[in-house]
Amino acid sequence: MKILFRLSILLIPMSLIIFLFVYLKEDKFYPGADFRNFNTPAFELPLLDKVNTVTNKDLGDEYILNIWASWCITCLVEHPYLTQLKSKKIPIVGLNYKDEKNEAINWLQKFGNPYELIIYDYKGQFALDLGVTGAPETFLIHNDRVLVHYQGEVNEKVWKDVFKPIIEKEGLFND
Amino acid sequence: MIKKYLLLNLFFFTSLIFGTPLYEFDNLEDEKRFYKLIKEIRCPKCTSGSLASSNAPVSEDLKLKIVAMIKENKTDNEIKEYVIKRFGQGAVYNPNFDKKTSFLWISPFILLFLASLTFIFRKK
Repeated sequence: MKILFRLSILLIPMSLIIFLFVYLKEDKFYPGADFRNFNTPAFELPLLDKVNTVTNKDLGDEYILNIWASWCITCLVEHPYLTQLKSKKIPIVGLNYKDEKNEAINWLQKFGNPYELIIYDYKGQFALDLGVTGAPETFLIHNDRVLVHYQGEVNEKVWKDVFKPIIEKEGLFND
Repeated sequence: MIKKYLLLNLFFFTSLIFGTPLYEFDNLEDEKRFYKLIKEIRCPKCTSGSLASSNAPVSEDLKLKIVAMIKENKTDNEIKEYVIKRFGQGAVYNPNFDKKTSFLWISPFILLFLASLTFIFRKK
């Protein structure tokens, strides 16, 4: 009896820790990735390099939405990978986040433009509706629904781990 | 003398005359609601800190959005739902009671119960 009591001092906290670990662990946990689906919020914003405005309807059925800014250093790090995606015929829509127009355009001229079109969100209100907390962040959107929300740099590993499985599952981008 | 006095007034009070409030509300009630809400919502970008304590760009945007939602007569719960939907359950200091958070809410009572058992069954 006494040995049982002594053992319980060890076993009860241990089982509690194991229980918490199992209970609180998220099924599909990947740092920075969020797989909750939601409708793309409605918006009407100007384009970066043109005067006309765009709304949800002007964007395609399936595309990658990338939040970037010229002041964002990690955006420059992931920029070559986005260019690589563009060469694989994956449509990328850019969202210029809280940036000065001239600086953004200079940035694109200097490093190249991987985007099909660029939405200019100076106040960041559309980005806030999407749940953006900073730059860079990347979304996978299909039929006006967000399927993947990734916070941070997109590179080959992240693409393979986070985006590719969903793209294959949904059969997007002629895959 | 009077001229000096006027100049002095100008020096001290121009900022009061030309200053505009950061957030505008229809009535005092709404303003109180706003300041209560931003204490209950976490800043999306900080490790831990209320929206009220943060001046990160995204927090400023979220505060403006909350002001706009208050103007649209949204309830506190609707505003919190908006934040939770975007930044997760951890974005509010009082998480909702659901399947996922039930253990969080109930566990103190379980611990209290277990602790009280030791008092009942302890040897005299």
